[in-house]
Amino acid sequence: MIPASLPPAVSRDLFRKWAGTPLTAFVSLVSAIIAGVVIWWVLDWIFLSAVSPLLPMDHCVDASGACWRFYVEKSRFMMFGTYPYAEHWRPALVSVLLLVLSVCVGLRITGRLRFLSPRVLAILWVGIVPVVFWIMGGGAGLVEVDMSRWNGMPVLLILSVIAIALAFPLGVALAVLRHQTRWPVLRRAAIVYIEGMRGFPMVTVLFVGVFVLPLTLPPGTRISPVMATLVALVFFHAAYFAEDVRGGLQSLSASQTEAAESLGFSSVQTLRLVVLPQALSRSLPALVNSVIGAYKDTSLVVVLGIHDLTSTARMAFSEPGWGQYALEAYALVGVWFLLSCAFLSWVGRELHRKQSTKSH
Amino acid sequence: MQQLPPPIVRKKPDHLGLAIVGLLLIGLVALGLNIFLNMKAVGVTPGYGFLVQAAGFDLSESLIPYDASDSYSRVIVAGLLNTILLAFVSLVLATVVGVVMGLVSVTPSPAGRIIAMLYVELFRNLPKILVLLVLYVVAVRGLPAVRQAVSFGPIHLSNRSIYFPTIEINAAQVWLILPLVLALCLSAYWVHRARRIQRETGRGTPVLLVVFALLIALPLGAAFLFQIPMKIDVPQFQRFDFEGGGRLSIQFLVVLVTLGLYHGAQIAEVVRGGILAVPTGQVEAGKALGLSPRYVTRLVILPQVLRIVIPPMINQYVNLIKNTSIAIAVGYSDLMAVSGTIINQTFRPLEMMLVTMGLYLGLCLLASSAMNGLNKRLRARSARSAT
Repeated sequence: MIPASLPPAVSRDLFRKWAGTPLTAFVSLVSAIIAGVVIWWVLDWIFLSAVSPLLPMDHCVDASGACWRFYVEKSRFMMFGTYPYAEHWRPALVSVLLLVLSVCVGLRITGRLRFLSPRVLAILWVGIVPVVFWIMGGGAGLVEVDMSRWNGMPVLLILSVIAIALAFPLGVALAVLRHQTRWPVLRRAAIVYIEGMRGFPMVTVLFVGVFVLPLTLPPGTRISPVMATLVALVFFHAAYFAEDVRGGLQSLSASQTEAAESLGFSSVQTLRLVVLPQALSRSLPALVNSVIGAYKDTSLVVVLGIHDLTSTARMAFSEPGWGQYALEAYALVGVWFLLSCAFLSWVGRELHRKQSTKSH
Repeated sequence: MQQLPPPIVRKKPDHLGLAIVGLLLIGLVALGLNIFLNMKAVGVTPGYGFLVQAAGFDLSESLIPYDASDSYSRVIVAGLLNTILLAFVSLVLATVVGVVMGLVSVTPSPAGRIIAMLYVELFRNLPKILVLLVLYVVAVRGLPAVRQAVSFGPIHLSNRSIYFPTIEINAAQVWLILPLVLALCLSAYWVHRARRIQRETGRGTPVLLVVFALLIALPLGAAFLFQIPMKIDVPQFQRFDFEGGGRLSIQFLVVLVTLGLYHGAQIAEVVRGGILAVPTGQVEAGKALGLSPRYVTRLVILPQVLRIVIPPMINQYVNLIKNTSIAIAVGYSDLMAVSGTIINQTFRPLEMMLVTMGLYLGLCLLASSAMNGLNKRLRARSARSAT
């Protein structure tokens, strides 16, 4: 019997990996230098030159690193902005509600939390929208708060989570209309809508929402900028979701529909019980990507003077005397987005993994 | 067996569709009527007459001569040109960054791969507007004032602008078109000849080098021979500011870097995917045929990578063109910023948004159809040469 040969020497392998060719060596060297410098900067900013949160603000004036006290003083403002101070539990509750529901949906589509049926989740979704608006806006026992004072995290979540949730059914409907051939006029209309919407920059659509939409209402009625933005976002995201769902619909073979029809299903039943469930589960990875994009782009509302998290962070250091803490404020927003997007990316990766194991 | 004629499909007229679309249109007309009434209530009649009125506001920078007394239509054109400039330069930057990082992400070096991965993940998980705002704060606070501008040779960078040398424009320079055309003709001939030699003898001839040399040497030589002025205008610091040369605002620079890094990360992913999609068998086959690593890259890997990469790249480029509109957040006078200012001044959101969205849509359609056409031609050519 031939004895097993020894594994190749590790040190040679390591050398070849790091500096096999002059080019590789160069890339390694440059990357190592960049990594070193960046790590040093970050460490220096966070710890070495930073000022402890226990020290008062005046210690921060000359510090080159982060001023941790800033977060003690300002993080509540960055979260909820100018919402009445005594009522801060309301935006906090709304944020927690929306986050918990989003995380539940994310876990459910990766195959966890099986006890939550899609129907229950859908009902919760529909139910939470009025609840959120009631808790935030007040009335019926709660102090009324004008929408112009809705700031920070709850606005970011309302404009992303609720807009995405409302855009989704519209997107599915548009995708189905574009996919079917029975009503050619509706098909054309869906194509025009989807392709047109995808040709416009998001900022222009937001401008239409905030400046044109209020004009289209009957004289005398008003719509707050937050609501107008929400409407614009729903119509904007729907076009992108429609494209993702269409990808799922197209990947389905026609024999599925034919089989369902030969079993005597009506066209609505075919769609609801056979076509859509398969198409949606196939388009989920693409949808998750679009959701990440939509969520990140929500912060574009800054340009319209709507105060989401990015905007309250900017407000926090725009006050006189606080100007030097811009990086601290933006760092909080950045960390929040990195964390929440990491969760969404994880959902996307899980879906990919599940689908690739299914197809084998 | 007798072939049956295809069944006659009688198209049912789409009454339902017509009815629904008709209802939607009626709804839109009602909304339009509301707009008319609302605008009437504040004393504005809808229409495009205002486009010829004087705009009355200044632009920080413009590619065409412009001042506050010019008309609204001229300011829109200036904004559109700024958008096109920004889009074009960021497109080049994003491509360079993306290709370099995409290549680094497939090198054997672990350090390189980690850096590339961190870069891509960071920019994929941060909103572009946040990147833009952070870079803006860092640039405005971190860079020195004009007086202490950092200099890299003739290029100076302050927290307001970047100043760089340009060639002074002169009427006589129009004649330089002649040697340029000559250079183009000669390079076309050279390319043709190189191809013929390659086909007949299999020997390669340098092409790129010769073409570049021709394109640069001929106009410069002509300028020298006929004494056409080619004065280089170097920015000089005068009492308060730099004079002469060209300048680009820090806002432009910040948006450019943001879009370059943001879309660079996405292009890096595209490039990485394209390279990983080439089967290893192809590389091994190339090596087995005795091709050197350089030729394996040029003749085996690159054509296949390009084929995979071009369609998603076109998508990225169109997205980038649309994303230039975030420039409004830092006040660079692009199309969106200009139309925002006009809306605030004239209270004509409907008219202005129709114009702006139409222009953006046209720009995107133009870019994507041009690139798709190019892609089709490339494919047709490679299909021909493959047979």
